[in-house]
Amino acid sequence: MNILFYVASAVAIIATFLMLTRMNAVHALLYLIVSLLAVALVFYTLGAPFVAALEIIIYAGAIMVLFVFVVMMLNLGRAAEAQEREWQRPSLWVGPSVLAVVLIAEVIYVLTHADTRMFGAEVVGPHQVAQSLFGPYLIGVELASMLLLGGLVGAFHLGRRLEEKR
Amino acid sequence: MHPVDLIALLPLLILAATSIVVMLTIALHRSHRLASLLTLIGLICAFASLWVARTLTPTEASPLLEVDSYAVFFLGLVIAATFVVVILAYDYLEKQPVNREEFYVLLLVASLGAGVLIVSAHFVSFFLGLELLSVALYALNAYVFTRALPVEAGIKYLVLAAGSAAFLLLGMALVYARVGTMEFSQIGGLVSGGGHLLKDPLMLAGLALIVTGVGFKLAVVPFHMWTPDVYEGAPAPVTAYVATVSKGAMFALLVRFFYVTGASSLGPVFLVFSVIAIASMLVGNLLALLQSNVKRILAYSSIAHLGYLLVAFLAAGRWAVEAVAFYLVAYFITTLGAFGVVTVLSNGERDADSLADYQGLFWRRPALAGIFALMLFSLAGIPLTAGFVGKFLLVRAGASSALWNLVVILVVTSVIGLFYYLRVIVALFASPETAAPSPAPSPAVSASGASTLVVLSALLVWLGVDPAFMLQVIERAISSLKLL
Repeated sequence: MNILFYVASAVAIIATFLMLTRMNAVHALLYLIVSLLAVALVFYTLGAPFVAALEIIIYAGAIMVLFVFVVMMLNLGRAAEAQEREWQRPSLWVGPSVLAVVLIAEVIYVLTHADTRMFGAEVVGPHQVAQSLFGPYLIGVELASMLLLGGLVGAFHLGRRLEEKR
Repeated sequence: MHPVDLIALLPLLILAATSIVVMLTIALHRSHRLASLLTLIGLICAFASLWVARTLTPTEASPLLEVDSYAVFFLGLVIAATFVVVILAYDYLEKQPVNREEFYVLLLVASLGAGVLIVSAHFVSFFLGLELLSVALYALNAYVFTRALPVEAGIKYLVLAAGSAAFLLLGMALVYARVGTMEFSQIGGLVSGGGHLLKDPLMLAGLALIVTGVGFKLAVVPFHMWTPDVYEGAPAPVTAYVATVSKGAMFALLVRFFYVTGASSLGPVFLVFSVIAIASMLVGNLLALLQSNVKRILAYSSIAHLGYLLVAFLAAGRWAVEAVAFYLVAYFITTLGAFGVVTVLSNGERDADSLADYQGLFWRRPALAGIFALMLFSLAGIPLTAGFVGKFLLVRAGASSALWNLVVILVVTSVIGLFYYLRVIVALFASPETAAPSPAPSPAVSASGASTLVVLSALLVWLGVDPAFMLQVIERAISSLKLL
């Protein structure tokens, strides 16, 4: 059933391409969400359901919501309302919807059929992921936490307003 | 993971712990002096712990990190360079209208990233180290965000570094897809074991993308576009850091990765690096001739210097690694010294980077001008400076592998390089009558800054006159590197 993998990959590539060519940030975000969902499905078909779940929870979930909120918050006021109406034109949401429907169809197929693993890949569950993350790759996890610290301190410094002359 | 492994990683652990301690101290009590003192103490402890770590080497602390004497040597270099940057940055930051303390947290995180790059033996730690370094540098480049140039530098670096990281990641994925392992030593076993890998398109494409990612960090032609702008825009101490620690750590990793995997002996890879080396030497030196901004001149000169280093890298073998290590030491001292002078001359409004600022500096500040001239002599490779010995070793390494084309270009472009170094030196000693009408910024130099510059100059001359000791240290350090 390698075809499932290729369909999901094609959706990911198309969605990413369309995302890059959109002029409006919100439209681009819609395609980005579809692209991330498709990538999650790719992970699933390759035998990594845990990573697929993380991809959806963290990227399509948390990070995208953050993006959408930031974009929306930057667009307040009367002009934004007119823009909102503009955004609800079907031509804008049909594209992402079609791609999403393809993905849903694939998910339904995967869930209703028993053996849908691709390329003979073994399924790697959360247990195994945790064991390697907190076993041999423990240092990597710690380094990633330092990476977040660096990003956080940098964002804090650049993002804060200047105090009055001390 | 054993407790013993943790002791081997002590230098990195201390760097990480210091950054957290400094951050928490800032939260409780914001004091520039305290933050910089804690940072210096942490760096001294990390440096001292190198001797503890050395007794345990070589040890594979985890599949990701390999602490050997080669790594210990470069860790020492990086920690020492960070120490110098912290001292130079203290006075510089005092003059800036932004919060000063976070600088040290970011600097320590960046140094941790550089350290991880040096000890990494696995793609995962390679990438994490690179990102640690990059993310901290995004913020450091734009640290003085009240001015336009640093912000521009930060954004340029952000976009290009993120792009190059994507290239690198895809390259790693392709190599992994082909060989099925991310450990350098296992990749090396497969490359040397099977000749078919030499012609495998997937493997070569992966290596090409990895070269792109590495080339960006080293700022070699054609991945050098960001260098002059970032050098010019970033605050002077950060520029010193980008020029030394970031490039040095990446070069240490380049040597380890390509020698351990044996990929540098692959025909196409060798060719690509030769072209990059030649292009870097030519473009760096020729474009430097056209600049009138000291920071930009130093940026193009650093592109050329990385090209010189690649000549030795291509030569391969013990002599080559020795030459690379010595040249990096000389380059670190020289670059820190040169940017150190720029740093102490800068004020809160702008960095002292235009050539006019240095017009007749000798008559106003004889000591500073003398030190700056000395650093430029070393960059140009004039005898009795460390730069000369370094260049001599590079030529010896190149000649011993009969890379005559590269060696000839190295020598010719070095002569071209003399011109623009001399241009700056001539400006330094220009008579006061021809000095710029608007007096350049010339703030008072603190005792710590002045003594740092004096120590750097002394080191420079010492290595130039009597390099035997350093060469001995390097010889012992590189003995751990498994050369194919």
